[in-house]
Amino acid sequence: MELEKLWQTTLGEMEIQLSKASFATWLKNSRLIDKKDGVFYVAVANNFAKEWVENKYQKNIIGIIRNFDDSIKKIEFVVNNQEIKDSQNQNIKETAKIEAASLDLKTDPTTGLNQKYVLSSYVVGPSNELAYAAASAIVNEIGKYNPFFIYGGVGIGKTHLIQGIGNEILIKYKKKIRPYYVSSEKFTSDVVWGIRNKRMEDIKKRYRDVDVLIIDDIQFIGGKEKTEEEFFHTFNTLYENNKQIIISSDRPPQAIPTLEERLRSRFEGGLIADVTYPEYETRVAIIKNKLSEAGQELSDPVIDIIAKRLKKNIRELEGIIKKILFTRETQHIEITPEIVEDIIEKATKSGSRKVTDTQIIKAVTEYFNISTEDLMGHNRRKEIVEPRQIIMYLLRDILELSYPYIGEKMGKDHTTAIHSYEKINQEVNRNQSLNQKILMIKDLIYKN
Amino acid sequence: MKFIALRSNIKESISIAEKAIGDNINLPILKNIFIEAYEGGVRFIATNLEIAITCNVSGKVIESGKITVPVGLFSNIIANIQSDRLNFEKKGDNLEIKTDNYSALLQGLSADDFPLTPKIKDTKSFIEIKGIFIKEAIGQVMAASQFSDLRPELNSILFDFSIENLKCAATDGFRLAEKTISASNFISKDSELFRILVPLKTSQEVLRMVKDDEIVRIFHDENQILFKTDSVELISRIIDGNFPDYSQLISNDFNTEISLNKEEFFNAIKLAGVFGQKNNEVRIKIHENKKIIEINSADQSLGENNYLLPAKIKGDIMEIFFNWKYLANALKVIKTEDIIIGLGEDAAPAIIKSTSDNSYFYILKPIMKG
Repeated sequence: MELEKLWQTTLGEMEIQLSKASFATWLKNSRLIDKKDGVFYVAVANNFAKEWVENKYQKNIIGIIRNFDDSIKKIEFVVNNQEIKDSQNQNIKETAKIEAASLDLKTDPTTGLNQKYVLSSYVVGPSNELAYAAASAIVNEIGKYNPFFIYGGVGIGKTHLIQGIGNEILIKYKKKIRPYYVSSEKFTSDVVWGIRNKRMEDIKKRYRDVDVLIIDDIQFIGGKEKTEEEFFHTFNTLYENNKQIIISSDRPPQAIPTLEERLRSRFEGGLIADVTYPEYETRVAIIKNKLSEAGQELSDPVIDIIAKRLKKNIRELEGIIKKILFTRETQHIEITPEIVEDIIEKATKSGSRKVTDTQIIKAVTEYFNISTEDLMGHNRRKEIVEPRQIIMYLLRDILELSYPYIGEKMGKDHTTAIHSYEKINQEVNRNQSLNQKILMIKDLIYKN
Repeated sequence: MKFIALRSNIKESISIAEKAIGDNINLPILKNIFIEAYEGGVRFIATNLEIAITCNVSGKVIESGKITVPVGLFSNIIANIQSDRLNFEKKGDNLEIKTDNYSALLQGLSADDFPLTPKIKDTKSFIEIKGIFIKEAIGQVMAASQFSDLRPELNSILFDFSIENLKCAATDGFRLAEKTISASNFISKDSELFRILVPLKTSQEVLRMVKDDEIVRIFHDENQILFKTDSVELISRIIDGNFPDYSQLISNDFNTEISLNKEEFFNAIKLAGVFGQKNNEVRIKIHENKKIIEINSADQSLGENNYLLPAKIKGDIMEIFFNWKYLANALKVIKTEDIIIGLGEDAAPAIIKSTSDNSYFYILKPIMKG
């Protein structure tokens, strides 16, 4: 019988023999952890439990176990500190929860940095040169560009770059300078926790005590007043003490609608750098980089196809590479350009299948903050025309709907739909900010 | 069970033991004190399943036996009773207390249900130290501690034993204190190094239970620690965690060094602190002639005050802010007449120590001013 099952059965019988209180106090958190040469090792909650169970229940327990497993000769009781903590201090648990929320395996709890992000693996191209140069300059001279604000669309390496700065600083200054990386979501939850538990001082201290504060996706604190205020003060404290502040966002400060003016102006006081979509050559370099990290290789035509087909999102690109490698490994086939096409096709389609036209319209109205009536009406102001065209573009691009259908849907002629699609389609490749808008809208669509 | 004991002896033991009384809904017996009469004496035990305190009291034992009674009731009787000679007798699950003109019957619970006190198997390795030394060390480092739910590993005192000395340290994240007890002040029967975290509550109880001239023996195993004197034993769990590595904080390289009289400085910050009630903040500024420091505290709605104090100053002129309560905590536990305050670069923690006694230091982070 398995140890766990055996112990559950034993506990079941002990529970009947003992009073509820005794059982809860002495045996509840116990576990059978091992058996070896007839000796069974049981972990109990604390020394008192050990003493008690050893002296009072040992015989009964051995008797019960013997019914199921007659190899038992002896029981050894050990104290399991972990269980003590769990059962004794709810507060510890709660703190741990907050702490654990932002952790993953490679993340250093004191800095919040994930060690996998290093600057040396960051592929530099014309799209991110400025941001990268600024990042290196900051590592060499902390406080040089303060604050350093970096923005760009989803999945193009902002997090990699800012965490890379943190990790580089750790190495270069041998931990004498303390960077601290936090997502704005974690920052918000810390503030909420601080307010609720009346421990705001601890939270303040944690953030004001760092030498380099790296905060990711700042746009999410927009509209959360108390968090914004707290961040504002933290920002000022650090700034006035010449501590480096690094901020990332998916759009420039002036484009975060709910952000308070005083914060915005502060962000604009430092260096603002954008990271845009990598061009073909950079994408090829990134793919090669990812492959060598994984210790794998793909033929050049295959890389060419991936780089050509996936223009806008490095994360997507990573996903595709993983899928390709997975396919190769499981099906033992040579990867040809056709297979790659197929994989990309499936991957991009599966995302779009669930989306409906209403979702697209809703996302666009949400993003531009305009009403559906305006959108469907005959208003020709620029603020309305652009979103209208974007909707038609997206309906065609994502759902592949027919022009007449799109026209009907929008209360327009099918030629208007054709014109809109073509206009945006051309513009997207030339106009970076439009491209970014569309990406963010797509993000909104898929999120809902 | 039947014994006769002196009220004064029992009163003292109860006051020590009752600190370990627990509050556990599952186990109401923890509110009781365990009384056992055995050949040679009487013992009282109380526990909350984290610590257990055993007190031994001398007495004339007529019949051995054991019982548990509610501690509140028991200590109330002992506190108010006038006679000195008390007779105790177990009657069923009840305890009778009797003097010439008084008798009481307390409803108790069977001693068989009382938790057994854990033991430390290895009784050969221990540290033997005079009460006053361990009390002084705990008292001095405890000045830098503060109970925190946020960082449970800090709710402890570090006992760092390295054969040639025993270091105690405590911190609350804002300040840190360390005391070194040199080997000449204790006898070690322990040949292995150890580093254990003793819960703050346990340390407080040690302070309370140990008398200055008593000898304390400290035993430990991987998850508990035992402090033992002739009359009292305290066993406690130890905290599983890591004490922050503070070696980098200690520096003897100061930008500025201020030496001054402790008592005067203490009075000055207490007085200046009157205006710093809200944020507990005082400013210490070194005068340009380097002979005087200025202690200042201000509050927008109250006003401000200034205190000038002569001091010996080496190094740069600077201005620094402290939480005056944290400063006062340090000054209260430093025993000598003069102290040194070592200041590093502006945000670096300050070190406060005695001019003549190197065994103790207190590190305090200044308040950062924007």
